[in-house]
Amino acid sequence: MRISKAGLLIVLALLAPLLVELRTVLSWINVELGVLETAVIGALIVGVILVWAFLPENGDDESSETDVSKSGP
Amino acid sequence: MNIHTYEKVWLIAALVLIVGFIATITYGSVALGITMVGDQEETIEPSELNDDERFGEPRVEQVGENEYEAYVIAQTFTFYPDPIEVPADSEVTFYVTSRDVIHSFSVAGTNINTMVIPGEVSKMTVEFDEPDEYGVVCNEYCGDFHHTMEGLLHVVPEDEFDMTELSVEADDEIELGDEATFDVAVENAALDDLETTVTLEIGNETFEETITVAGGETHETTFEVDSSELGEGDHDWTVTVDDYEESGTLTVVEDLEDEDETDDGDDEDGDDDSDGDTDGGEDDE
Amino acid sequence: MSEARDAYIDNFPAEAKVVRAAFYSSFFALALGGVFGIIQTLHRTDFYRFIDPADYYTVLTAHGVFLVISFTIFFLVGIFTWAITTSLDREVEDIRFTWAWYLLMAVGITLSGIAILAGFIDSIDMSASVLFTFYAPLQAHPLFYIGLVLFVVGTWLAGLDWFRSWWAWKAENPDERIPLPTFMVLTTTLMWYLATLGVAVAILFFLLPWSLGLIETVNPLLTRTLFWFFGHPVVYFWLMPAYMMWYIMLPKVSGGKLFSDPLARVVFVLFLILSVPTGIHHQYLDPGIAEGFKFIAMTNTMFLLLPSLLTAFTVVASMEHGARQRGGTGYVGWLKALPWRDPVFAGMALAGLMFAAAGFSGMINAGMNINYLVHNTFWVVGHFHLTVGTAVALTFMAVTYWFLPQVTGKALWSRSVALGQVVLWFVGMTFMSNAMHRGGLLGIPRRTAEPQYDGFEFEAAVGSVGELDAQVALGGVLLTLSLVLFFANVIGTALNGRSDALPANEYAETLSGPEDAPLVLDNLKLWTAIAVVLVIFAYTFPLLSIIDRGGLLGPDVNPFPVSLESVAFLTFAVEHLGTAALESAGNAVQTVVPGVIR
Repeated sequence: MRISKAGLLIVLALLAPLLVELRTVLSWINVELGVLETAVIGALIVGVILVWAFLPENGDDESSETDVSKSGP
Repeated sequence: MNIHTYEKVWLIAALVLIVGFIATITYGSVALGITMVGDQEETIEPSELNDDERFGEPRVEQVGENEYEAYVIAQTFTFYPDPIEVPADSEVTFYVTSRDVIHSFSVAGTNINTMVIPGEVSKMTVEFDEPDEYGVVCNEYCGDFHHTMEGLLHVVPEDEFDMTELSVEADDEIELGDEATFDVAVENAALDDLETTVTLEIGNETFEETITVAGGETHETTFEVDSSELGEGDHDWTVTVDDYEESGTLTVVEDLEDEDETDDGDDEDGDDDSDGDTDGGEDDE
Repeated sequence: MSEARDAYIDNFPAEAKVVRAAFYSSFFALALGGVFGIIQTLHRTDFYRFIDPADYYTVLTAHGVFLVISFTIFFLVGIFTWAITTSLDREVEDIRFTWAWYLLMAVGITLSGIAILAGFIDSIDMSASVLFTFYAPLQAHPLFYIGLVLFVVGTWLAGLDWFRSWWAWKAENPDERIPLPTFMVLTTTLMWYLATLGVAVAILFFLLPWSLGLIETVNPLLTRTLFWFFGHPVVYFWLMPAYMMWYIMLPKVSGGKLFSDPLARVVFVLFLILSVPTGIHHQYLDPGIAEGFKFIAMTNTMFLLLPSLLTAFTVVASMEHGARQRGGTGYVGWLKALPWRDPVFAGMALAGLMFAAAGFSGMINAGMNINYLVHNTFWVVGHFHLTVGTAVALTFMAVTYWFLPQVTGKALWSRSVALGQVVLWFVGMTFMSNAMHRGGLLGIPRRTAEPQYDGFEFEAAVGSVGELDAQVALGGVLLTLSLVLFFANVIGTALNGRSDALPANEYAETLSGPEDAPLVLDNLKLWTAIAVVLVIFAYTFPLLSIIDRGGLLGPDVNPFPVSLESVAFLTFAVEHLGTAALESAGNAVQTVVPGVIR
């Protein structure tokens, strides 16, 4: 794993406010998302994070750190 | 005191932010004229609202060309008047007070929002540009049925707005041969004079009168109808002034006296009488 | 007792019992408040309604009072007692006195609680469905006010207990700086004394005599203003223990030290002097208070942002320091090195993050004119569920996972459940408070059983009101689940056997210690004097003007609901008892005095 289980849990938790506000932010540029669409997008992002987290750590450390920070606070 | 450089920068940035907030709010108040509910209004006795010049009859009143004043009472669990009707493209000053506990007068989705405290009068001046319909809620808990306390604020197009009010007082029952009287009052709360026609339709007959009601005044007129023309039985009647309509039923009987004497009939009669004196504005709903 | 163990219960066994009792009282209130919370959430959003709408307001009163009075303040007296004893390293002066104030608080809140909960039972002629703010002319049963008075007096005595410890310590250590945790306790207590004056006057001089029928009327604007004199600083009374935890516990659990002791003192001094003269910002929409007074309250409020912004810096800097001690590197990479596995840390960090969001909605509330859009709407509810409902509550729950073993001597039942619990609270509150804020912008009112109206509908800019309701309900359910996990852990820990492997009873050291702080910071008399002067400036004229306008006892308005029968009885009982007491006192004097003279 590239990130500790607890770290992964926190990253996923921090996703909640981002997803919830995503609709509001997108509506400013006239993109109207429904609840279902938001849920699908959320599931996709969660999937990507999970895949990334569980990939064996064979890349260079530098990139993995930047990735964490992007999804982090 | 030993303060880290970054912390100093942060401290200064925080102070700039705070001063900035205060500056924008001050700009809003001073330059944009966003005034607050304040202490401009005198206090008022909540138990004496009925005798008050402004709140005795909660209403919208015209005070200038496009200027109106609305006197609103909030009480458990209603607003008076309801709905409140004002024209578009106008400036309305609301005066709101409470008859009992603390309420609020809050027009949903706008910044027309004030606490309504017994003994105090909230004053707010609002500009309405476009016709619209707003819900009014009480957003301060005021008792068991607080959630049912609601009202409506209609901003109607200017050409559809008038401040005419019609009320009719009429007999319910008369003896054959007597004159039936219809006392019609037309109130004009607008500033300009109102020229209009009052129409009474009863049975197959129509009576008309053209009247001029001065601004802020009430014009009273009386129609007298000979019951022998109508004949015995029930007769539906309608009084019309512009878009306002008031109607009822007149019963012509051969002999009244007996019924009047009996005690049983008295209560009902009393009720019927007050029913005849209804308010045109309300009936319109 | 094993030699190796150095937990709080080992050093202060008697105090640990009081702290434990305070914690359990606090958790009991949290459980009640949580049950009422979920009932309300489901009722309001129309997902599940099984109570009469009128009972909603009893539920709401219970939710408010039990959570923001009992839960928060019982927890506070627990950790403040811990902080005093630990940082001064001395036992309380008299443990009987400590138990006395705890019991007084417990009796007080029980009486108020009875008055509130009796509202559910029609056959009992008693109710107090007046919400946490008890605005007159809404009138509660006298028992409600009496209970509150006893509770507050209990907190005053608790404060006295802490001061006694400090005075005794100072006599023995005349040249030492006040230890930081003690400093925080003392400044917060001083602020509390000042703040509670408002509510004490409101209840003792007006509301209680009025509910007993001794006076006919009260001035609603006056009692309301006196309430907010107390009502705003009380939020800092909830928040200060959370701040204390962020200053003295969070750096330690992050693996480092507190960034700056002097600035921590500055922050608490600022809260002492600025907390009280701001209450009128809750009354921006009140008729009868001049715009100028509102403006003064607004500027004070804005300056109150300063200590919170300073705290944000110190907390993050201390966390970063800890992370780097643990081997963290990079501009943001250090975040990965933080002990996210530790529920104490994770809970406090998430609580701090949510408090930042709450700060933004708070700035909107404080903005005198923009406040008109959101005042008393659901937005405000969203705001304080982020502040007291998360920054405070989540911090308390997180530190419980550290304190509970300290005061019970037993190991935490499950660290994993604890971590899940704090994360679930964060996610649940995200959903709930977000929807509340957005609902408020549409004008949906707060404190309303069924905000679905006949004549009109609220129009959502994005999504729909139905979606917002669903979001609130989802959040409420997640929060309830989180509470269930919390109580499972508390009960599991209480039932655990004695543990020999507890961490020592310590708090964070500092990078820049008290020796860097100017001595004047410890001059509590000076700061109290300044606080009093500011309060006089901010409140004298508004109060005088309110009394001048409306009279001391206000206009002729009936209490609502109208006085209950039992009140008359209680008045009679009080008078009767009073007379009896006087008589017996008189008799006693008659028998004693001649004896003395002879």
